[in-house]
Amino acid sequence: MLMRTDRTTANRFAAGSDKVRPAVQLDGVTKRFGGSVALHEAWLKIQPSEFMTLLGPSGCGKTTLLNLVAGFLEADNGEIFIEGALVTETPAHMREIGIVFQNYALFPHMSVANNIAYGLKTRGIDKREIGRRVEEALALVKLSGFADRKPRQLSGGQQQRVALARALVIKPKVLLLDEPFSALDKNLRGSMQVELKQIQRELGVTTIFVTHDQGEALSMSDRIAVMSAGRIRQIAAPDDIYRRPADRFVASFVGDANILSGRIVERQGDSAIVAIGDVRVNLAAAPIAALSIGDAVDVFVRPEHLTVTAQGASNALRGTVATQVFQGDHVDLYIDAPGIAAERILLRAPGIAMLSSCPAGVEVGLKIDSDDIVAFPPGAAP
Amino acid sequence: MNKRPFLGWFVSPAGLVAVGLIAALLAVFQYSVRAYVPGSLDVGDFTLQNFAAMLRPLYAFAFGNTVLLCFETAVFTLLLAYPLAYALVRTNSSALRSFILIVSVTPLFLGEVVRTYSWMIVLGNNGFLNTLLIKLGLLERPVQMMFTAGGVVAALVHVTMPIMVIMLAAALSHIDRNYEKAAESLGAGPVRIFFTITLPLSMPGIVAGFSTAFAWTFSAFATPQLIGGGRVSTVSTLIYQLGFSSFNFPFAASLSLIGLALSLAVIALLKKAASPLERMAGST
Repeated sequence: MLMRTDRTTANRFAAGSDKVRPAVQLDGVTKRFGGSVALHEAWLKIQPSEFMTLLGPSGCGKTTLLNLVAGFLEADNGEIFIEGALVTETPAHMREIGIVFQNYALFPHMSVANNIAYGLKTRGIDKREIGRRVEEALALVKLSGFADRKPRQLSGGQQQRVALARALVIKPKVLLLDEPFSALDKNLRGSMQVELKQIQRELGVTTIFVTHDQGEALSMSDRIAVMSAGRIRQIAAPDDIYRRPADRFVASFVGDANILSGRIVERQGDSAIVAIGDVRVNLAAAPIAALSIGDAVDVFVRPEHLTVTAQGASNALRGTVATQVFQGDHVDLYIDAPGIAAERILLRAPGIAMLSSCPAGVEVGLKIDSDDIVAFPPGAAP
Repeated sequence: MNKRPFLGWFVSPAGLVAVGLIAALLAVFQYSVRAYVPGSLDVGDFTLQNFAAMLRPLYAFAFGNTVLLCFETAVFTLLLAYPLAYALVRTNSSALRSFILIVSVTPLFLGEVVRTYSWMIVLGNNGFLNTLLIKLGLLERPVQMMFTAGGVVAALVHVTMPIMVIMLAAALSHIDRNYEKAAESLGAGPVRIFFTITLPLSMPGIVAGFSTAFAWTFSAFATPQLIGGGRVSTVSTLIYQLGFSSFNFPFAASLSLIGLALSLAVIALLKKAASPLERMAGST
């Protein structure tokens, strides 16, 4: 099976809650370009008002999926539904979808007001109503008074607001966001994310957000679909994706992870005990169900799930501090632990006490301090 | 330290050409204010008589006719070249793209005289077009196409087509496809997208192509001379007749100067008229 659904039921957008009609549904959608498969049998249900993020590296198929929903591309196989209606063959201009492009694509020859009014004019709405709704949309994105400007007279952030207003003013069934923050500088990006999320929640518009930035994905989404090589690897709430990644790719793409070598020593129902050096950890058995006792596994441990203890402490791994990097609010320690990890182990220690207590060259003990440890069969990314 | 050490050397060929051009223009100017001595290639004293003579209806008519011819040619070239340029830029088929390129650009390499002779074969009373139409039963007698303004325009359109296609294609290829996608997502069908987005945004290319076609046609000589056969009178054919049949170099020179001034004026006017459109397209 290519796709795993999330395991929490606490999430209000949990997949499988079939009582509500999904706002967007993809049933086994495949898209090929020439000989290569850009999207392989994507199955996806997005609930009304949900903020769904498609996360993955470039070329993973997330933009292809977005273009298929928008109607700019035609699926080779499978069906797409929007609000329950089959739209696989519906041309883009009849799908009632709002899009914000990476470069915003504001019409350069039209004023801000005419940009926003464009989608209303195509719908044949009368002039007074158009004027009213344009004003409303401008107020929503805090750009009242900018109606007569041309796009080139606006800053990047303002252009993005106009693009958002233009997409939202038509009351779209789905809002598609194609890497909308990548052209903004870092400070502006943060505030626009907060604002966009707020507007999205306020209007309750179903949103599909495409990004390669895991930070954006984790902070904004109701659920995330992690994609790689044309396949959806996991669909789950952000904390589930982070804490219980479904496979090696998800574990290493979302957040940082140290890969430690372990060995299965025991199995008890849903859980397994894995030994890393002298340390034993208890973790979920599902990802390593195919392996038997005594087999080697790769254990994924987040940097913040390791703590430094005295050297020689019981139930701790041993390593040598190679470098320390001061990060302001925390310290990154890079630790050599031959035999346990092929690469240097990254440990994220809060506070700055570590700067003096763990200089380079010192031997330390490492405690694994979390239940959110996962193991996968060894090898390269699946 | 000069930051562009080779600039002087690289500019020198252009400088040489410019010097030659300016010298020639000065010579033409010099001729234009000299008196014509019938029966002699030498010129007489300084006079403004040549310019005064141009006010005669015969010459005024040639000017008016030329402007009209240029305008018609530019309009038809634009109408024919736009779809070609659009298809050239937008097609996904590399075969179609090559085909359009070959069809629209090869005329550039044929030379005006060869192209014009081909058109004479096509347009003649016993030419390809008349023969075809009669064989198909659409005509009873051949239609006069040679030696008419219509025939001249048809051939001139063919001459100016390549440059128009290239300029329009350049403008169209600079239009971000996301503009059209955005319009599409906002509910606009193909026709509305073309008239509200694509056409206005390609306006700079239209203005540039139109002015260029106009200027080219204004100075065209072989086509109006051969296809018009003396019955379609333009500024350039008139200059030829005056210069090389009557050997009235001074009058030919003054006609050339006025022709140059007029074509510059018309192009400036076109630019002026088009600038609101261009500003609308937002790429000035």
